[in-house]
Amino acid sequence: MAAVSLNNVVKKFGSLPVVHGASLEIADGEFVVFVGPSGCGKSTLLRMIAGLEDITDGEIVIGGKVVNDVEPAERGIAMVFQSYALYPHMTVEQNLSFGLRMTGNDKADTQRRVSRAADILRISELMQRRPRQLSGGQRQRVAIGRAIVRNPQVFLFDEPLSNLDAELRVQMRVEIARLHKELGVTMIYVTHDQTEAMTLADKIVVLRAGNIEQIGRPLDLYYDPDNQFVAGFVGSPKMNFIRGHVVERNDKGVILELAGEDGTRLAQPLTGPAPELGSHVTVGVRPEHFGDAGKGDADLTVSVDVVEHLGGTSFVYAATAAGEELVIQRDAATAADAAEITVSIRKSYLFDEKGLRLR
Amino acid sequence: MRLRTRTAYAFLTPYLLVFLTFWIWPIANSFWLSFLNTRSANWTFNPRMTWGRLLVDPAFANALWNTLLILVIQVPVMIALATVLAVLLNSPILKARGLFRFAFFAPVVVGEVAYAAMFRLLFNEFGIINKMLVAAGLTSIPWLSDPNAAMAVIIIALTWRWAGYNAIIILAGLQSIPEDVYEAATLDGVSKVRQFFYITLPLLKPVIILCVVISVIGTMQLFSEPFLITNRGGPGQATETLGLFLYRQGFGAFNFGYASAVAYTITALAIAISLLNLWLGKERE
Repeated sequence: MAAVSLNNVVKKFGSLPVVHGASLEIADGEFVVFVGPSGCGKSTLLRMIAGLEDITDGEIVIGGKVVNDVEPAERGIAMVFQSYALYPHMTVEQNLSFGLRMTGNDKADTQRRVSRAADILRISELMQRRPRQLSGGQRQRVAIGRAIVRNPQVFLFDEPLSNLDAELRVQMRVEIARLHKELGVTMIYVTHDQTEAMTLADKIVVLRAGNIEQIGRPLDLYYDPDNQFVAGFVGSPKMNFIRGHVVERNDKGVILELAGEDGTRLAQPLTGPAPELGSHVTVGVRPEHFGDAGKGDADLTVSVDVVEHLGGTSFVYAATAAGEELVIQRDAATAADAAEITVSIRKSYLFDEKGLRLR
Repeated sequence: MRLRTRTAYAFLTPYLLVFLTFWIWPIANSFWLSFLNTRSANWTFNPRMTWGRLLVDPAFANALWNTLLILVIQVPVMIALATVLAVLLNSPILKARGLFRFAFFAPVVVGEVAYAAMFRLLFNEFGIINKMLVAAGLTSIPWLSDPNAAMAVIIIALTWRWAGYNAIIILAGLQSIPEDVYEAATLDGVSKVRQFFYITLPLLKPVIILCVVISVIGTMQLFSEPFLITNRGGPGQATETLGLFLYRQGFGAFNFGYASAVAYTITALAIAISLLNLWLGKERE
């Protein structure tokens, strides 16, 4: 087991920078998820930790040792690939034992480690099969098993569930959470799926275009995002954004007028510096933070496009007078099928023109 | 017959006629011919003069021996070389990859006569190969007049011509192996050399067997090189192959019956050796 730290890690492909100085501390035994849209550099970051990509600048430390120039196999890590990367011509057992056999590990010990991994992942009855005779979920288990037999200090997962169907994905997600609990090993997990990030992580690292946007516990990111990108990325359905401008500012905060809603004013208390009078801002409202008319800080009248009833809850897809599309979460009973409803904003976040959070 | 079907056959008829006349008919007819004594004015049924002769004819045995010798030496050497070439051509550190791939494939595109003429010049008594041998302090070799040396020239020429072609086929197989399998092996601490022997080679097996089968069929029919480079299987009959022997019997001596029997023997051998290869390469669970 080991802590991992990244100190100002930079990656350039040729002259193209893909990671611009990432710094991060991962505690021993922590489950950290790198999340972000495609091309944000999360996989590159993971591959640099694994040693599959060189580091252009900066330092990666695993278990107190700088590993920049250490061979991947010597870093005490094991990686699970999105495509599983199983050896197609070998049986499950051979897949699990291959690395140990090739590096001259003791035969009895190899056997022991393989059967332990098989037990943990419940794949003992599949040992003589070849990868093509396995289902996607089983292949993924074998891939994880191959990581377990290495007794790594750090597990790396590169979008391990992306190739599975929705049901299996949920099932494997629970498996991975169980595995983390059972092994207690540091795990770094890359995904573009914020649900996976929210459910698995002790700590989430949100990346965008090669920059770390925010690091924090799942609920902290959800309730206290640093910027509009994180606010929009974390949470499903995502946060609604309504444009507005500042019509009044005082020492307690600002009063905004929302776009297309003449006369609808929203008071936002701020402890930090307030934006200029007349400046454009964005108000973020989570779907569940709309309420019944008259019970919040500001009322909006919206025209309803579609109502989705999920049973326990319903989502109303609607548009404001200014044409901004909103998703509103309501109880099934109160989700009107009417063309227009009035909702109230009970809780909101304010972002400046650059998308930074105003607190 | 429905009109549509009839129209389709009407369009196909010209091709089918040509195909029947110049393809199916000769194949069937030569099978019949292989039982006839074609040495007399009236062709009579006498398989002892054809199939029977195969068993006792020392010239046939010589041609068969030469062909199998080339097969056993040239095919493995060439496939091994092609595999190494394919791995090199696939290397990400190789510059001007496209150019190299073309260069190694190019010998196949060169006309047979031109390439044979080049090899005759290279291995000529005063050719550049001997010049280089002498310059290196070795003795010159009578390439085209010594039986063993002539055989070596045939094997070298064949390898030069077909190694690149096979390398390109194997390269396609190499490129179908996903990169992350190697990455997984690297993380497992498996050395590059071991990755080649334990991952690359087993995964290339189907492609390599394909190349071996194609090469076996080609070698069994070998004709141009001994005809053109070593001057009709010379010196003497030292490089006479089955293909050349067939030609000599059929179009030199006009013994069509015997030549047909040889043709069927070549086909049967090629099929048998290919099936053996496929059987050896079959994955056993």
